[in-house]
Amino acid sequence: MSNMVKGDRVVKCLARKGGFTLSFFSMASLCEVLIDTDNEALATELGLIAANEAWRIEDKYSRYDSNSLCSEINEKAGEVVEIDEETFNLFEFSNHCYDMSEGAFDITSGILRKAWHFDGSDNVPSKKCVEALLQLVGWGKVSYSVNSFFMKKGMEIDFGGLGKEYAVDRAVLLISKVANIPFLVNYGGDLAVHGTRKNDDPWQVGIEHPSFDASQSTLVTLRTGAVATSGDANRFLLKDNHRYSHILDVVTGWPVKNPPNSITVAAPQCIQAGFLATLALIQGVDAENFLKEQNILHWSIR
Amino acid sequence: MQLKAKKTNLKAMLTTASCALLGSTANVSAQETWQFDTAIMHYAEVDRVSATEAIIAGTKTFNNDEVLSLKLTIDALTGASPNGATTQPTPQTFTRPSGNGQYNVKAGDTPLDDTFHDTRVQLTGQWTQPLLKDYTVSVGGNFSKEYDYMSASLNGNVARDFNKKNTTLSAGMAYAYDVIEPEGGIPKPLSEMVVGDSNDPNFNDDFNKTRIGSDESKSTIDLLFGVTQVINRQMIVQLNYSYSTVSGYMTDPFKIISSVNNNGESQAYLYENRPDERTKHAFFGQTKYHFDSGILDASYRYMTDDWQIDSHTFDFRYLIPFTNGHFIEPHFRMYTQSAAEFYQPFIAQDEAKPNFVSADYRIGELDTYTVGLKYGMPLGDGNNLSFRLEYYHQTPKDNGTQAIGVLKEVELYEQVDAIIAQVTYSF
Amino acid sequence: MLIVNRYKVLVALSVVGMSGCSSLGVEPWERDLLAKKEMALTSAPIDASLDDHIYFSKEATSGGRSFGGGGCGCN
Repeated sequence: MSNMVKGDRVVKCLARKGGFTLSFFSMASLCEVLIDTDNEALATELGLIAANEAWRIEDKYSRYDSNSLCSEINEKAGEVVEIDEETFNLFEFSNHCYDMSEGAFDITSGILRKAWHFDGSDNVPSKKCVEALLQLVGWGKVSYSVNSFFMKKGMEIDFGGLGKEYAVDRAVLLISKVANIPFLVNYGGDLAVHGTRKNDDPWQVGIEHPSFDASQSTLVTLRTGAVATSGDANRFLLKDNHRYSHILDVVTGWPVKNPPNSITVAAPQCIQAGFLATLALIQGVDAENFLKEQNILHWSIR
Repeated sequence: MQLKAKKTNLKAMLTTASCALLGSTANVSAQETWQFDTAIMHYAEVDRVSATEAIIAGTKTFNNDEVLSLKLTIDALTGASPNGATTQPTPQTFTRPSGNGQYNVKAGDTPLDDTFHDTRVQLTGQWTQPLLKDYTVSVGGNFSKEYDYMSASLNGNVARDFNKKNTTLSAGMAYAYDVIEPEGGIPKPLSEMVVGDSNDPNFNDDFNKTRIGSDESKSTIDLLFGVTQVINRQMIVQLNYSYSTVSGYMTDPFKIISSVNNNGESQAYLYENRPDERTKHAFFGQTKYHFDSGILDASYRYMTDDWQIDSHTFDFRYLIPFTNGHFIEPHFRMYTQSAAEFYQPFIAQDEAKPNFVSADYRIGELDTYTVGLKYGMPLGDGNNLSFRLEYYHQTPKDNGTQAIGVLKEVELYEQVDAIIAQVTYSF
Repeated sequence: MLIVNRYKVLVALSVVGMSGCSSLGVEPWERDLLAKKEMALTSAPIDASLDDHIYFSKEATSGGRSFGGGGCGCN
């Protein structure tokens, strides 16, 4: 049934210099796979592999899809839910991120959105409202094992902070198993590359932010690994000349002060880059220093 | 917010965390489809044997990791093969192995028997599946038939993974049973080849006196023990020990040996005779190393047996991928063996006949090398096409036997050149 | 003296054992290169079986990598 609704699941193939660009739409983003080959059939095959995997992840982990596993887990909050190996592994990763960030990166924090609507308006919620919701936030409150998961009623999990990056890394993994040719996977600005290009040329990637002027777009040169970008683009609140960013401090429930508008981080894998970019933003004014101290390559826009 | 433990190495911790996630095997619409490999290979020796071999192999992997492989091989052999007799400065006449007619060899030429043409059909099947945790078992069978030869075999293998599948120990056993039924029957070992007028009424009687039956058989037991070890992300190593014992008829009924006088002149041709037991030990080591620019496949094999044959085989391949998915793979192989203790290029007429003797250069002292190149390309949809061209050179050597008389003037150990051409298509 | 020597041997053995464990092998997620079909020990089984047949009939050695085979009266 769910397949009927998703009518526009097509992969387009466009020739470009040195290869083909396969594009499709998934996880609310334009997704592209750039493949350096003159074999169109192979490029299409690889594009389909990436797209099918992205759509699979979307169907399984999107909180917007009422048929997804994520929705099922949220609906069954208060009960013990059975989970599969992949979900367990995602929980394990989230758990590591939670630990590494000392609680700042929390996949149960999405529920705070009920208080905060980052629509550019001045609609700042009441302290009481935020505090009430904070009772339902906290990865430390859930329990899980290899095949089960439990959180208390009212809590929600959200893979939004990881899903796209995970899909990028999965695409890299699957395509590299099938073909030994250079390619780039870009899902809405979260991207990874694989293989050595002709003449060892790097991939040049422009990362644009719709709300900023073009001169501020980040040009990234990439030979290996991944980059991911976190930022608040159009997502903020303005009240009394104060810009509330959409980056929330999970401990207080209130926006982080003075984060960069956008931060792009390089890491061996996209899911690492994504986490680091988010974690950096949470540091607010200290974002760049934090990355510098960790010796992590990054580009920031303020 | 600020991280208290700012100095923790996030990069290292993340690597561990994300690798655990991406190393996982999420179900990606597994398919149960057949994968086929087809190949046609042509082997051609200069002025001698040529063979064409065609293979179609199908592999089906089931969702629970069970694998079924079936393979059909058909090959056709034509041309001339050395019969074992020495070259002479004079023309020579030999009786065909079937007893039907004779063939002549020019002065100075290596005696070749041109009666060989045979077609072989071979069927192979193998079933492999996981069993319990960490175990893989495999059983298979093989049957092949040609005009005068039949072979059937069964094999079984058990492998166990240790240490996160980084180490695999395996043990296997195979049993084979072969029957040879040459046209003209089995020659009596060390009897003299009857050379004369085959239309003579007495010829058949004389020929039949050199025969002891219509068929012979041999059985082979192979044991194989192996260890495979992943060294690091780029490198894997395999070490095997194999033991093989053959009992039964291992003589080549088509091979003879020249009995020569003091001047090296051929006086008679005797049918060869080999021991009916042979035990071999082989040690095989292989490594594959993934460099940034390609993949090295290097192997070495040492074999020793109770026929006193020792051999060393070195094999190197280096696969160089191109950015368009094509690849090129140069290949170099080197082989050297010592002679079987009963190998002799000829027998001196006035010396006592040995129990066992063969002049087959393939069990004499021999060096060979192969150089080749393979070129492969993906055709899309997972189909692949590859071409292989190799040059194979054999240098038979004397095993210390002194040539006498006229044999000093002729080429006793003629070198062999062969070309191997192959096309493989996988879909 | 004897005790000291024995102690040394024990230490040496355990060190070898430990380094053997920690340096050989990879974690499951580090199998990206090893998982390539080109990295399989017998990555071209068709080539291998054709080669086995040729060298079986032209040289005195067979097998080693796998079972010695046979199955032909090839000349």
